Amino acid sequence: MNEHGVQWRANRALRHWRLPLAWLVLLTALTVGMAELESVFRWVEADSRQVIYDRADFVTLLGRHLLVVSVASLLATLIGVSAAIAVTRHAGQDFLPLVAQIASMGQTFPPVAVLALAVPVLGFGTLPIIVALLLYGLLPIVRNTLAGLQGIEPSILEAARGMGMSGGQVLRQVELPLAAPVILAGIRTSVTVSIATAALGATVGASNLGDPIISGIVNGNTAYILQGALMIGLLALTVDSTFERLTVRRISR
Amino acid sequence: MIELFDVTKRFGEEAAVDAISLRVDSGELCALVGTSGCGKSTTLRMINRLIEHSDGEIHIDGQPVRRFKEDTLRRRIGYVIQSTGLFPHWTVARNIGLVPRLLKWSPERIESRVEELMTLLGLPHEAFADKYPDQLSGGQAQRVGVARALAADPDILLMDEPFGALDPITREALQDELRELQARLHKTIVFVTHDMDEALRLADKLVVMDAGRIVQQGTPLELLREPATPFVESMLGGDDRGLKETSLVRVSERMQPPGQTLNAKARVHRDATLRQALAVMFREHADQLTVFDDEDRPVGELSLQRLVGVTRHE
Repeated sequence: MNEHGVQWRANRALRHWRLPLAWLVLLTALTVGMAELESVFRWVEADSRQVIYDRADFVTLLGRHLLVVSVASLLATLIGVSAAIAVTRHAGQDFLPLVAQIASMGQTFPPVAVLALAVPVLGFGTLPIIVALLLYGLLPIVRNTLAGLQGIEPSILEAARGMGMSGGQVLRQVELPLAAPVILAGIRTSVTVSIATAALGATVGASNLGDPIISGIVNGNTAYILQGALMIGLLALTVDSTFERLTVRRISR
Repeated sequence: MIELFDVTKRFGEEAAVDAISLRVDSGELCALVGTSGCGKSTTLRMINRLIEHSDGEIHIDGQPVRRFKEDTLRRRIGYVIQSTGLFPHWTVARNIGLVPRLLKWSPERIESRVEELMTLLGLPHEAFADKYPDQLSGGQAQRVGVARALAADPDILLMDEPFGALDPITREALQDELRELQARLHKTIVFVTHDMDEALRLADKLVVMDAGRIVQQGTPLELLREPATPFVESMLGGDDRGLKETSLVRVSERMQPPGQTLNAKARVHRDATLRQALAVMFREHADQLTVFDDEDRPVGELSLQRLVGVTRHE
């Protein structure tokens, strides 16, 4: 490929990803430069001695937040997709109604309740929040993977089998690629909800971007609340728009 | 060669296919005809083991199908279905190359085979190779379906109402193409259809099924002349079956050497069917036709008496 072609491709990629990139730049700027905005927050919270949250720096808080969400989402994706695949195979058919029911029922269960139930069992700290996020995040993934796999036209699967593809080949080459947009949409919902919900971890002793919010509520400091909320909002927007672009990319070939 | 010996398929208590025996010789096109739910599709799918038979034996070239691994068996048998079952996320070329890829052919060999098949089925490679199934018309998609089934050059082809979803004109065009293809390739084909005209056009051997059993089998002419039961007769169109019979016989088989006076207007090509000859007679109010050949030379004549008499008494 010539230089011109490379340039053209790079331009196209940049255009494709510009929205998530814009959110990422904003998020990074805020993470390292929160202190620069002291005058703005001073105006919001004129009475307090301290207006920039400083019990931990924002890079650390963001890192921990991301870690908790990543671990929980990765596990939720692995378990959720595998479970949905398992119950749509011939051998796992018997469990399909059960899993489908749990998946739709679980959506009505508030994450705060999961957290409240997890603490007595797992104690305070990072573990209960990971468990809560994992459980809550499983559901959209299971539900969407099931919908994606079951939405494939039966004649396509019949042809695949009839041509002599093995079960594994049908799954990898036909079912998963065809269900991918729906599965990805499920993961997107799960991750975005997890980013917001992880803030609740601060109430059970897990330190992350929820800390400034909880601390702000406790001390009556609106500036702290704003800082935490802004960070979480930007993080959710960055990740969500990244997934949105991924989905678009997969559908338009 | 495909042989079925007393093959039965039960779903629960009910027998969908009830002790049928059938033999399809190599190079023969055998059409299974019947109303919906008569067990014709089930019979077809038992041959490539998409459905396992409950009783009896199915042999391919003298070997019981259960002796093969399912996937190995299916890669040796072409399979075409009504809704094509093309993979929507793969290009036409990739869809056609599916079975060769499963058989681990080299990429160059697959590519040249795909090109060869696309040419064979009238799909120009440059125009169609990189298209996706949703960009094709119904007829084009079904051609791709047939190309995919033929890709690894299987001896046997199973076709389940392949042209059932197409409009009449496209359907007829594809039937003609299949007939030409078969004249060249000599595959052993089992063809399921509920369309008796389609079966009569294409089949060397016609098998009429009803309620899981074979009611009658034979050549199209045998069935038309001596339907075994009222059911077969009604499948063949009742009183219309005389007309269907005229579609199966060529003018050249019935004509006489040209006489003295030739009718210049009422003429028919030697390869036309008797049905077409009848239509010309009816239209031209003539009871005698001049038969001509490709070079437009008169090569014989055909009288109404001869047309009618010969089809009745032979």
